[in-house]
Amino acid sequence: MPDPIYLGELEQIVLLAVLRLGDGAYATPILEEIQTQAGRRVARGALYTALDRLESKGCLRSRVGEPLPERGGRARRYFTVTPAALRALKEGRLALLRLWRGIESQL
Amino acid sequence: MKFADWLLARALKNDAERDMVLGDLQEELPRRGRVWYARQALSIAAHALVRPRGLPGEPHRSGDFFMRILLRDVKYAWRSLMKRPLLTLTVAGTLGLGLGANAAIFNLIDRLVLRPYPLDDPDRVLLFAETGPGAQYKKDEVAPANFYDWRAAATTTEFISAYSYWDANLVDRNDPERLQGYQITAGLFEALSVKPALGRSFVRDDETFGRNNVVIISDVLWKRRFDRDPAVIGRRVIVDGGPSEIVGVMPPRFNFPEGSDIWAPLSFDPKTPPSRTVRYVTAIARLKAGRTIADAQAEMSLIAARLARGYPEDRGFGVRAYTLTRGMLDEGTGPMLSLWQASAFIVLLIACANIANLLLARAAERRRETAVRLALGAGRGDILRELLTESTLLALAAVPGAIAFAWLSLYAIRVSMPANILRFVPGFESLGPDLRLVSFTIALALLTALIFGLLPALRAGAGAVAETLKEGGRTSSGRQLLRRSIVIAEIAIALPLLVTAGLGVLGTRQFLSGPQGYDPDGLLTMKLVLQSRAYPDPASLRLFVDKTIAAVQPIAGVENVSIINNMPSSGGNASRRIDIDGHPAPDPKNLPVVDLRAVTPGYFSMVKIPIMRGRDFTTADREDTAPVAIVSESMARKFWPNDDPIGRRFRTPAEGPMTVVGICGDIIHDWFNRRNTPTMYRPYRQLPTGNFAIMMRTPGDPSSLAAPVRRALLGVDPTQPVFEVMTMRRALHERTIGLQYLVAVMTVFAGIALVLASVGLYALISYLVAQRRHEIGLRIALGASRAQVLQLTIGQAFRLTIAGTAIGLVLAIALSRLIQAGLIGVGSSDARVFVAFAGVLIATALLAGYVPARRAAAIDPMAALRTE
Repeated sequence: MPDPIYLGELEQIVLLAVLRLGDGAYATPILEEIQTQAGRRVARGALYTALDRLESKGCLRSRVGEPLPERGGRARRYFTVTPAALRALKEGRLALLRLWRGIESQL
Repeated sequence: MKFADWLLARALKNDAERDMVLGDLQEELPRRGRVWYARQALSIAAHALVRPRGLPGEPHRSGDFFMRILLRDVKYAWRSLMKRPLLTLTVAGTLGLGLGANAAIFNLIDRLVLRPYPLDDPDRVLLFAETGPGAQYKKDEVAPANFYDWRAAATTTEFISAYSYWDANLVDRNDPERLQGYQITAGLFEALSVKPALGRSFVRDDETFGRNNVVIISDVLWKRRFDRDPAVIGRRVIVDGGPSEIVGVMPPRFNFPEGSDIWAPLSFDPKTPPSRTVRYVTAIARLKAGRTIADAQAEMSLIAARLARGYPEDRGFGVRAYTLTRGMLDEGTGPMLSLWQASAFIVLLIACANIANLLLARAAERRRETAVRLALGAGRGDILRELLTESTLLALAAVPGAIAFAWLSLYAIRVSMPANILRFVPGFESLGPDLRLVSFTIALALLTALIFGLLPALRAGAGAVAETLKEGGRTSSGRQLLRRSIVIAEIAIALPLLVTAGLGVLGTRQFLSGPQGYDPDGLLTMKLVLQSRAYPDPASLRLFVDKTIAAVQPIAGVENVSIINNMPSSGGNASRRIDIDGHPAPDPKNLPVVDLRAVTPGYFSMVKIPIMRGRDFTTADREDTAPVAIVSESMARKFWPNDDPIGRRFRTPAEGPMTVVGICGDIIHDWFNRRNTPTMYRPYRQLPTGNFAIMMRTPGDPSSLAAPVRRALLGVDPTQPVFEVMTMRRALHERTIGLQYLVAVMTVFAGIALVLASVGLYALISYLVAQRRHEIGLRIALGASRAQVLQLTIGQAFRLTIAGTAIGLVLAIALSRLIQAGLIGVGSSDARVFVAFAGVLIATALLAGYVPARRAAAIDPMAALRTE
């Protein structure tokens, strides 16, 4: 059993956005998804940092697409969520739901 | 964009990530624009730089440790600066002025001296100058015959080519215009690796006499005269009275050499082959690949030695190879700009001194805080480092303002320079901020951070901990020696700047309104160059001049009109070697030289040069009567010191004996290096030339005559342009514009220095008064009168000022000696200037001390004593 993965709030948001985008998840649409769905403005620099960190933690895998002329011959990098990160997301959600239970009426 | 990409490349060390980021940004660029791009790049770089490396839980590598400390220091320094926004703003503003002035001057030196030519590889383009027996010849003094021999023999260089100054008169659709042009050999453009934008360059065949009726025009001329019409290639125009065909148009901004608008082939009539004795062309070449300037020098020396053996005219002559930039550099520009840079640096030093003083005051306030931190175990190195980080941040904060200030100054310099001077200074059109200016400013900012930050920082880390804590927060007032010395130094270095500027102002005023030897008011001047094609012989020149005077004289308002070959204060000159009958020169090979002026009758009375003795020229002095001359007083004194020159005879190499008939007053032809130069005047009819000025006197406004005179001249010859139509006053102004510029900039620097030094004194005295509040309160309570308190405080300011002024006077005398040696003209070390500016400085300093002194005198003793 590997060490449990702890996810910060921004990390959770990024992972969820990547999941929602499916095959088309590269930096720009991820930023837009976070903006439209979560209503949060994330600095592009912060996103790259988060993506880098998530990949090194084993939460994201990336693959490189075809080189595109509109990118100056550079390829897009697409991200997918790893099973380990999926598990951590689910556990985090369950933990939060358990904590929410019974106090919703107070808020 | 470039900068943004560079920043990203630095911040993102991982290739894969960099590719991703650059790709993402580029993909969005068309939709979002460049501003967005730059902002994103900045954000990404900032995040990447603070991003912790390695996996969580892993120990940090040592590099990260230092990075973290640096970041912590920066954060700490930022907070501490933001706590005192006013102080921070003052420091950044002061420093911004000082840095900006330096940046602007740096840009001037960079653009005008270091790389004036927009060439890809300026160091591969060489200039060959001849060295003569005894003296170094100027860059534009190569004998054309020698040039052709060089061209035939040179193998280390290619496109070796020559050019010669050429006043072109262009006529197209009956609209005569005089253009700045050059006659060039084939290969000149190739040597500079510039291709015509339209049409072709010159080839060797164009140099053949008879086939040389082709010209290439500049982009400026193409736009102005031909409306950017591409069909201009092949068009026939009248140049110098003969038909010529336009074969090429040069690309925009190309105007080598010196603002050329038109180029024609340098070509020689077989009847008058290229000369080996008259030296007047400039030779440039491009180094062949793999060759160095030393190779070229060695080869040219060999060629020159061979020519010197073969031709007696070349005996003793050699060649020197320069890079184009070095060879073309005007001698005056370097020293002038160096003087500016030195002044700007002094201003910056004074600004640094002020800032150091402010920070010292602040460090004193923070002594307790520092002591507590030291007691709790902070290292002295930590404190030092933090304070230096703070100074560095302060200095960098001043950079944007500095660049903006430099930009504004450069803009002001560009717009205030007259167009006809601007175009002759290569590099002037390219003034403006660039990456080098930005780098220079940042480097200088870091240097200043060290200058003004080190003293306070060292001071802060040095105090004894226990004693400071025991003092219980009362700041000691005893040790202000350092701060006093700084203020004395500020005053001491401000004074030389003030004196230099003052001497310059006096010098310029003397130039412009001092006695010239003639009366420059009420004169209108204009220049003409008659081309030898239209005016081939002396008779035709005389006829033109006669007709011109006959046409201009009757115009209403013209009191008197005359022709002169070189008008006073004009850039050009003409001179002759003379041989005096009865006074053989000691060295017949090296005859004395005097200036030569050819004038029409009535010239002396028109410009109001007095005839001291003898007679004026008259209409009876004609080409077929005895040659006569009028000599200036200085010439009479120099060559006939013991006897009366009138009736004496002398000759020039080209002319037979002429008789002195009069002595006239001296004038100042050129303020910079010719005062009262011995001058001989000849009647124009006896020595006609096609290159002259028309001068006329009017009781009214001279500029109102310009239009009617132009019309009258078109009546004489509709294809003949006149140029530089201006009043004599204006001509004097343009002649001295360089000096006026020098002085104006020095005055601004001196003013800033004065203000900064006064502010420094003011701040120090205010601080001292605040520190002694308690003591002063006590004195007042014990019966000291307000006047005594005022005297006490002002006395303090006075002692500092006197000490600074005394040192400053010594420095000022030394500096003025130096300037007198380097810049002829700004001379006369008038003692009154020294005294006056010392007085100004003392008065200003006392005023700066008076304000806090008033405050000290107004202290309420009860309130002051209660605060303790």
